[in-house]
Amino acid sequence: MSRKLSNRKPVNRELDTTRRLLIAGGVGSLAIGGLTARLVNLQLYNQEEFIKKAEDNRISLIPAIPQRGLIYDRFGEQLATHRTSWNVYAAREDLPDLDEALARIGDVVELTEERRERLKRSFRQEQSFVPVSILTDLTYEQFAQLSVLRTQLPGVTIESSQARSYPRGRDFAHIVGYVARANQKEIDTALEGLDRSNIAQRNQRDRIMAVLKHPNMRVGRLGMEKELDDWLAGTPGYHKYVRNAQGRIKERLNDDEHAPQSGKDVHLTLDAGLQREAIRIFGEETGAAVVMDVQSGDILALASNPTYDPNDFVNGISTADYSALRDDERAPLYHKAYDGTYPPGSTFKMVTGSAGLRAGVITPNETVFCGGHYAFGNRRFHCWKRGGHGRLNLHEAIKHSCDVYFYEVARRLGPERIADEAKAFGLGERYELGMTGGASGIVPTDSWKRGRYNEPWYDGETINYGIGQGYLTVSPLQLAVMSARIAIGNGDQLMPNMVGLGPDLPASERFGSMPPKDILDQLRAGMYGVTSEPGGTAPLAGDINFQGIRMSGKTGTAQVRIISAAERARGVISNEDLPRHLRDHGLWVGFAPYDNPKYAIAVVVEHSTRGSGKAYPIARDIMHAAFVRDSGRSPQYQMASRDKDSESI
Amino acid sequence: MAYYQPIDDNLLSRIFRLPWIMILVIIGLGVFGVAVLYSATITNPTEANLPGVHAVRVGIAVVFLFVLAMIPLNLWSAVAYGAYFAALLMLLGVEFYGAMGGGAQRWLEFGGRRVQPSEFMKLALLLALARFYHQQLVNGPAKFYHHLIALVMIGAPVALVFKQPDLGTALMLAATGFAVMFFAGLRYWMIILTVAVGICSAPLAYFYVLKDYQRERVLTAIDPSRDPLGAGYQIQQAEIAIGSGGAEGRGYMKGTQSQLDYIPEQHTDFIFTVIAEEFGFVGSVGLLAAWCLVLGIGLAIAGRCRSYFGYLAASGAVVTIAFYVIVNIGMVSGLLPVVGVPLPFISYGGTAMMTVMAALAVICAVNLDRDRHLSLTGLF
Repeated sequence: MSRKLSNRKPVNRELDTTRRLLIAGGVGSLAIGGLTARLVNLQLYNQEEFIKKAEDNRISLIPAIPQRGLIYDRFGEQLATHRTSWNVYAAREDLPDLDEALARIGDVVELTEERRERLKRSFRQEQSFVPVSILTDLTYEQFAQLSVLRTQLPGVTIESSQARSYPRGRDFAHIVGYVARANQKEIDTALEGLDRSNIAQRNQRDRIMAVLKHPNMRVGRLGMEKELDDWLAGTPGYHKYVRNAQGRIKERLNDDEHAPQSGKDVHLTLDAGLQREAIRIFGEETGAAVVMDVQSGDILALASNPTYDPNDFVNGISTADYSALRDDERAPLYHKAYDGTYPPGSTFKMVTGSAGLRAGVITPNETVFCGGHYAFGNRRFHCWKRGGHGRLNLHEAIKHSCDVYFYEVARRLGPERIADEAKAFGLGERYELGMTGGASGIVPTDSWKRGRYNEPWYDGETINYGIGQGYLTVSPLQLAVMSARIAIGNGDQLMPNMVGLGPDLPASERFGSMPPKDILDQLRAGMYGVTSEPGGTAPLAGDINFQGIRMSGKTGTAQVRIISAAERARGVISNEDLPRHLRDHGLWVGFAPYDNPKYAIAVVVEHSTRGSGKAYPIARDIMHAAFVRDSGRSPQYQMASRDKDSESI
Repeated sequence: MAYYQPIDDNLLSRIFRLPWIMILVIIGLGVFGVAVLYSATITNPTEANLPGVHAVRVGIAVVFLFVLAMIPLNLWSAVAYGAYFAALLMLLGVEFYGAMGGGAQRWLEFGGRRVQPSEFMKLALLLALARFYHQQLVNGPAKFYHHLIALVMIGAPVALVFKQPDLGTALMLAATGFAVMFFAGLRYWMIILTVAVGICSAPLAYFYVLKDYQRERVLTAIDPSRDPLGAGYQIQQAEIAIGSGGAEGRGYMKGTQSQLDYIPEQHTDFIFTVIAEEFGFVGSVGLLAAWCLVLGIGLAIAGRCRSYFGYLAASGAVVTIAFYVIVNIGMVSGLLPVVGVPLPFISYGGTAMMTVMAALAVICAVNLDRDRHLSLTGLF
């Protein structure tokens, strides 16, 4: 090692070390100055822009689905409510790796290869911000297991949510209807008028789409759920979540301004217990029954049988199940009580009689001779009783349901006066009850026929009109309204209503006026005769087997086919021998108690094996149930609103 | 004889004569680093131990700094060539036997421990060049062929490191080497000529020397939006973090970008984003000022040293440290390509901290022996 200390001063004077160090310091200062300038630019002049970017980074808006309003019956029983449902969904933009996520979920809940492919297709097809449902209605165990894996499933939402549920499913399927995922048509309707090329409108489109396509979002598809959707649905909002870079939600920010607003409840006048009884009483028969309170017009039961379970539709029904419902010849999907129209048959005779009395073409005691048929022009119109009834007045004609008597009255009246009377009694009109559907039926007139068939009215058609046959069709609901208007007996044109507490519905129209009390008394007396006097056509319908209360009413048989002269010559073919779809419908209208009516009822039994003989026992049993249950007592919602009123005073 | 002043050279006086302001600033930076690291890693449970590890490493580095600072300058110069050749051999070893990591061959394994020879080379090259020029300068100005020899001494390790490939370290070695050449008296016209040639050959180097991924980095640095999901994402998120910090910052542990993990590598190379976001312009400029103080003291020590070796070693060490700080903040703030240079004493990671600590120790040793004249000949 040759190392020794030297005490010589450096001899090199050409190397000015100080100058070189100063140059180096200058270059370094320039570099540091450049960095400082950059920081000034970023931090002092552009802070707001970057804070906005940072907020955009961390805050994501997630559509929040409002809670739908509930639907209650008269006594506060829930007809449409919510149940807890455990669901898994994700939006593509939040998912780092779809395959990985599906594989992890597949460890807990089996996902078939086919299902996986379908999910991947859905993710590809949807816009990146639209959440796609991966699993619905998990068991609690599956939910718990998946929740444990939450940290391994970034971007995947595993949550319990509220799913629409119908605890009284089958009983109210036709009335309450059901909700379903929005279909393309509903989405297109909601997006109508929003231009994709306008940025503000495009954002609005995206928001609407994100809500409507949200796995927890349902829209009213049928019945009350659809008709009252605006009232029930509430207003969607969104929640602000803080997300980290991996897409995991760190916290939810409070933001009441944009919180979803729950929908409003609806209270119906219906009695769920009576509705269930009505459907039970129908049993294997097909048809409809309507029970109305004659004081208030409250509909207490509006039953169609057979029925279906609307819960099957909430998450989408399988094609096979749907086809089975659709192709069933008893038409379970059909709301017979509200949408169905039938010829009223003999139940119409009160209208003909009332029109006759009011027009003065007959008097109550005037008699008509029935010889079993009625000759008009070159045609013969038969009475249901081949031997004829002999001479009878209005009271007896209703009691025995004589056809010839009403042929004669109809002939004297002509179609226009019969039609006016029918409309005054509530036929031929759609009543707004707050649900989809609703038939107006047909109350034919000369001008109607010219408009419809471009043919004049033939006088022979007037004859049939008198006994409720021909073009005339009515719904079971209309029959109940007619029955109630007769029963109340004071000339009121009672209006049916089913929404007790809820949105205001457009009022239905009243036509003409009811006949005076004495004419209604005549009709009621005749209907009493039907059930409670010797020779009445429905003696077994009178006693409803409750505290001696008696029901008055009128039978009806709606002919489904034209009976040919040849058939008539061969003899009457019994209904049972005919193929089902050709059998007559059996009808009943009535009210009870006969002297101080409380409830009115209408029953239609489709393709009954014994004509009206199937209808009145059903009516009697339903009426029995109504009295046993005291269905018309004050509804719970009225008491609730009364309490509220007294509080506010 | 007149210039020789006997030095009261006992241990106590050496400790007393240490550049204390510089050392205290460095310790302060280390402590600050632990705090920032705590904020940067709090959201990630798997990183919970990093601030503690960093604190220990800072402690070890400071202890080593004191120990190495006590080594007399002639001993530093004695090991210079040996260290240089040893480092060069290790770099060759890496070339043939090295371990792959992150797509590059950078490490040698010794009994399970990884050694990164390129880091060792930073210091060894500095010392070797300082000694080489010292030996020439004591006999008069350096001749042109001396500079050529120095160029070879710089070029060999730079080429090997560049081939690993590790662009950041290669650039740093080259920068340190050229800085020493400059301090050793390279003529100004030569410097201007070299810079001119460098600028002219930059496009050639871009197309023929750089690899694809390196070209990509350069392009991304110019326009971060061209790669919004990759490197561009990192730069964009870093800019958002720095910019949203504003003048006063969003508060310690309150930066949303940092706390929600929006910036990859925010605990290592990109830790400056956490400082800028949470402490704002005040904090980031304060950090720059602290480093400026350290570097300024270093330059002053270099200027007061009587031996060429001490002058060159201290000034080269200052350039090495400055390179770390400037390139790190430059790349994080989007001015320079992302080349993987950490922020010493604050970024998590031990290697760079040890290199910078050694460079500081050289500066301290130069300060203690600034009046001692070294006469160096031969290789040892």
